[in-house]
Amino acid sequence: MIELRQVTKQYGQAAVLKNITLSIDEPGIYCLLGRNGAGKTTLLKSIAGYQNITSGTIQVDGKAIATSTLDTGVSYIENFAKHFNLPVRKLLRLASEVNPNYDYDFASEMMERFELDGKKKFHHLSLGMKTMVSTIICLASNKSAVLLDEPVLGFDAIMRVEFYDMLTESFRKHPRIIIVSTHIIEEIAKTIQKLIIIDKGSVRFFDTLQSVETKAFSVSGLQKDVEAATQNLNIIGQDIVGGLATVYIFDNPPKETASLEIRPLSLQDFFIQMVGHKGGTVR
Amino acid sequence: MTAVFAIVKRLLTSNKISFIMTALVVICATSSGEVVLSNGNYTWLLAAFTPFFFVFYDFTKLMHLGASKKHYYLGCLISYGFLAFCISLVNTVIRLLIDPIYPAKTVVNLMDVCKWTENGIIVAGFQQMFFLLLVMIFLHVLLSMQAHWYGWLTDAVLAAIICIFTPIAPLRGILSGFFQVIMLNGSAVLHIGVCLLLSAALSIVGLAVLKRKTL
Repeated sequence: MIELRQVTKQYGQAAVLKNITLSIDEPGIYCLLGRNGAGKTTLLKSIAGYQNITSGTIQVDGKAIATSTLDTGVSYIENFAKHFNLPVRKLLRLASEVNPNYDYDFASEMMERFELDGKKKFHHLSLGMKTMVSTIICLASNKSAVLLDEPVLGFDAIMRVEFYDMLTESFRKHPRIIIVSTHIIEEIAKTIQKLIIIDKGSVRFFDTLQSVETKAFSVSGLQKDVEAATQNLNIIGQDIVGGLATVYIFDNPPKETASLEIRPLSLQDFFIQMVGHKGGTVR
Repeated sequence: MTAVFAIVKRLLTSNKISFIMTALVVICATSSGEVVLSNGNYTWLLAAFTPFFFVFYDFTKLMHLGASKKHYYLGCLISYGFLAFCISLVNTVIRLLIDPIYPAKTVVNLMDVCKWTENGIIVAGFQQMFFLLLVMIFLHVLLSMQAHWYGWLTDAVLAAIICIFTPIAPLRGILSGFFQVIMLNGSAVLHIGVCLLLSAALSIVGLAVLKRKTL
C-alpha cells in the first residue's frame, strides 16, 4: 500500500509537487500520466525514497519513506539508469544476489524472450536494450511496489508490445503495486487497471480505466443545445467554433437527441482535456 | 547476510583499478641511496583509492540493482576491514621478507616510522590494520559528504585546521598530539582502541550522511 499525505516538494521557490494526497491500496498496474514537467519523476523518486519531500508524509506498507529509509521495499528504475558494465546474464545474476527477493528465473526467462544477448556487456547494448535490462531487473525485484519511469522510451513497436505482456505476466505471477509512467497512452490502456493523471504538481485524476470508458464523453452540437444538455454535468473542457460547440464531460452522458452527438472519449483525448486544451474558449 | 557478501564481492571486484594502480606503484617504485623507502609503504595507496570507487562508482549502480542502503553500507565496512587486513598483511610480509634484501643501509617502512614495530611484528600488523581501517572510513565519510554543503564545510574546516594549527606552536602541539595518538603511537592497546573508537564514531557519521544521500 502506498499512501501520500499532503506531499509537497519544492526546488527553491518552485513547487513541483503541490499538496498531493493519494492512497493506492490494492495491487494493480497503475499508469501515471502527465505532461513533461508535470512532476511524474519527482513523485516516483519521492515514493522510492530517492529524494526527500519538502512537507507531508509518504508511507509504503506502513513504513515511512525518505532518503533515510535504509530499506524501502520499493523498486524504482529510470531511463539511463547506470549499471555495472557486465554481461547481461551476469548483471541479472548480480541483481539476484544483492536483492534477497529477486526472481532470477523470471529475469532469465525475460532475457530469452527479448532476445537479449546474455554475453553482451551492458554498455554495448542499444538504448532500448539497456532500458529493457533495467526494467527486467526492476520487475524481477519482487518488491512490494515497483515504479517504472518511462520504461518504453527507446523501445520499438514490437518491444513495446512484448513489454506490456511482460508487465501483465509479472503482475499475474506476483500481484503488487506497479506504477508505470508513460507518454504512449493508448498502448498501455489494455494493460493497466487504474489511471493517475498529474498536472502541474497536483493529482487531477485517480480512478479506474473503466470509469473513463463509462463517463468520459464529448457532446457536440449547436452551442445552446450542448450547453443546455451539459449544464449540470462535470465539464472538463470545451471547444466552441462559431455557433457549434463540443463539450467534454466526465459524468453520466446526457440523453441522446437528434441535435446532439455524444461520443466516448479515447484515453488520449480524455488526458488532453484533463491537462491541457487546444483552442476553444476559456473554461 | 548473503546480499551483504554479494555486495562485498562486487565492491572488491569493481575496485580493480585501485588494485592495479597500487600494484604498479608497489612493483615499479624505486629509490636509491643509503636511505630508501620500502615499497611496502605504497600498499597504503589502496586504502586511499578504494573509498573513491565505493562512493562515486558503486553506490548508484548497486542501488539500481535493487540493493538496500543498509546492505551497501555494511558491505563497504566489511570490505574496508578486509582490505585493511590484506594491505597490512602484504606490507608486513614486505617488511619482513623484502626490506632486508635492499642493499641500502636504512629501509624506511611506515610501520617503523609509526613505532608500531616496537610491539613486535604481529601487533604492528594489527596496529597498521586498524589505522588503515580508520583512514578508509574517514575518506568514505568525507567523500560521501561532497555532494552536500556540509561536505564542503568539512573540507574548509579541515584545511583551516591544518593551515592555522601548523604555524602556531601551541596549536601545532595539539595537532601533533592528535597524530601521535592515531598514528605515531607506540602503545598498541591505546592506538588500536583509539582507531576503533574513531572508526565507530565515523561509521555513525557515515550512516547519517548515507541517510541523506539522494539518487
